[in-house]
Amino acid sequence: MNNLYRQRLSSHLKEMFKYLRLVFNDHFVFALLIFIGGLGYAYSNGLKELQPNLWWAKPVIVIVLLLVLQLGRFATLFQDADVVFLLPKEAEVRQYLSGARTYSESLAVVYELFGMFVLLPFIQVTDAMPVFDLALIAVAQLLLKDSLFSLAIARRFKVKSAWLKESVWFKWVVPLIILVASVYGMPMVGTLLALVLAVCLRVADKRYNAVPFDWWQAITLENNRMMGVYRFFNLFTNVPMLKGVAKRRRYLDWLLNIVKITPKNTYLYLYSRGIVRSGEFSGLYSRLTILGMILLYFVRGTWLPVALAALFLYLIGFQLIPFYWQFDDIVFTHLYPVEEKQRVNSFRRLMFSLIGITAILFLVMIFVANQDWMVGLIAFAVELVEVVLMVQYYLPLRLRKKK
Amino acid sequence: MTLQVTKVVGGYSQIPVLKEVTFDVQDGELVGLIGLNGAGKSTTINHIIGLLTPFKGEIKINGLTLNEDKNGYKKQIAYIPETPILYQELTLKEHLEMTMMAYSLDRDKAWQKANHLLSIFRLDNKLDWFPANFSKGMKQKVMIVCAFITEAPLFIIDEPFLGLDPLAVHDLLNLIDEQKAKGASVLMSTHVLDTAEKYCDRFVLLHDGTVKTEGTLPELRQALPDAGESLDDIYMSMTRADQHE
Repeated sequence: MNNLYRQRLSSHLKEMFKYLRLVFNDHFVFALLIFIGGLGYAYSNGLKELQPNLWWAKPVIVIVLLLVLQLGRFATLFQDADVVFLLPKEAEVRQYLSGARTYSESLAVVYELFGMFVLLPFIQVTDAMPVFDLALIAVAQLLLKDSLFSLAIARRFKVKSAWLKESVWFKWVVPLIILVASVYGMPMVGTLLALVLAVCLRVADKRYNAVPFDWWQAITLENNRMMGVYRFFNLFTNVPMLKGVAKRRRYLDWLLNIVKITPKNTYLYLYSRGIVRSGEFSGLYSRLTILGMILLYFVRGTWLPVALAALFLYLIGFQLIPFYWQFDDIVFTHLYPVEEKQRVNSFRRLMFSLIGITAILFLVMIFVANQDWMVGLIAFAVELVEVVLMVQYYLPLRLRKKK
Repeated sequence: MTLQVTKVVGGYSQIPVLKEVTFDVQDGELVGLIGLNGAGKSTTINHIIGLLTPFKGEIKINGLTLNEDKNGYKKQIAYIPETPILYQELTLKEHLEMTMMAYSLDRDKAWQKANHLLSIFRLDNKLDWFPANFSKGMKQKVMIVCAFITEAPLFIIDEPFLGLDPLAVHDLLNLIDEQKAKGASVLMSTHVLDTAEKYCDRFVLLHDGTVKTEGTLPELRQALPDAGESLDDIYMSMTRADQHE
């Protein structure tokens, strides 16, 4: 069983690296790097304006630590078929879980330490704590995370105690108390409490050996975790495991009804509904638009905002182009007696509306951030030229090339 | 003459699946395309609907080939695929409107027809649902409704009976009869031989990419006198004879 986990872990890691590679290849990452850089810059600027002994500093520290504590889940890597194939191996499931715990917990340690690392400058500025106390808080945090993993294991057994299973207590309330104690001047007490909790839960955990393992629960929890992981990757690239489910989104029907029902609009009708109701492209579009808007809000100057807006408009338009072929695996798309030219025109109209909306939103953001008519005017001119170029020339060119 | 397939050689890659297939479907006629799995039924259909291009030979619908007039050719076909294919993001109502737009139908008239068909297949209360989540039989019914609101002179129906409940099979056969009476032609591939025997006017028996025999039931009986009475018998003896060769 120990080998089984190792095998699964290696294929799991292979899969994760495959996705990570895809993520770090995309245009999106470029944008993300700028975004993270911007955030870091804003953070350091923000810190400069803070004074020591702010009343809200300590609550913020506690809340951030509490949230960071929830990062890093228990990766059991169970699969649906395990309930059938591993059932006879139930006695050895402990071994398997300890492998899982080692992997999950080492990842979690990285998350927790990274969280502390990011928080450190904030603590330093607002609350001149001795280094020793900081170290104690970090230790308490790690011990709390360890307790959460003991609890995660307990949840996967058919433990009767609802008290242990109902995780709100141990996930939020108990850590909150301990963290409050640690941050509000009693780091020694907090760490000690965390240690007691971790040891007690580990001891209690050992006693479940006689309790039957809850396969369904364990598999469901693992599937949920993997769904979360896939959904995260889906933010950046296509995940085949997440075949997007169409959502009705009735509240957007008014928007779709703008498209007149005439033969000329056959594909516009299809494309507009496709983009509004499927997650993939609409998610991509709205994410990039919102990201661009946030970025433009923080950026000042004349040419920098204009260049950024232009870059984001290009990225969005570029990423939308493959949507043209979205319905090609549906045979009727090839059977409709509709000219290819009309299809291209429909797609151009869709693209024009989408990047047009983005361009307007960017313009508003640039104006709000800079409050300067001149910058707004320049941005308007540049965006207008870009949108027209993209829709009139670039898009038809790309569509022809692909054929 | 509605559909004319002449000496078509074709397939998916370089290797031909169809070897000089020739048959026709007359106005107001229901022709059954019969053959084993892999005999070339679907390949034939894919050539007719224009997904595949023949290496040799030609396919004409009312005198038009696909190359002469792409849209004129496509407009004449209503197609019901073997496995229902639907747009994930469109509701049932939107599938119908999509079809109306694509085939430039008169909306009022088409909706009258659609409502009639929807009530026959008991779909009239599901207009605002995503048919992609329906059961197989119900999806099949959506395909049927979409096909029958077009005023196409040629219906291509690929294995329509699997997954449909007996009532729906009956309704479909009635609809086909109605269209035939209006002069439309139907080409239907199927494995359900006893239904085919009862309803088809003529049969094209495909085997290994060639047309083995073709004709009405009496004609088939005449061609294979020892085989037996029913289409099933004739078909079985034909395939067996082939295996012995």
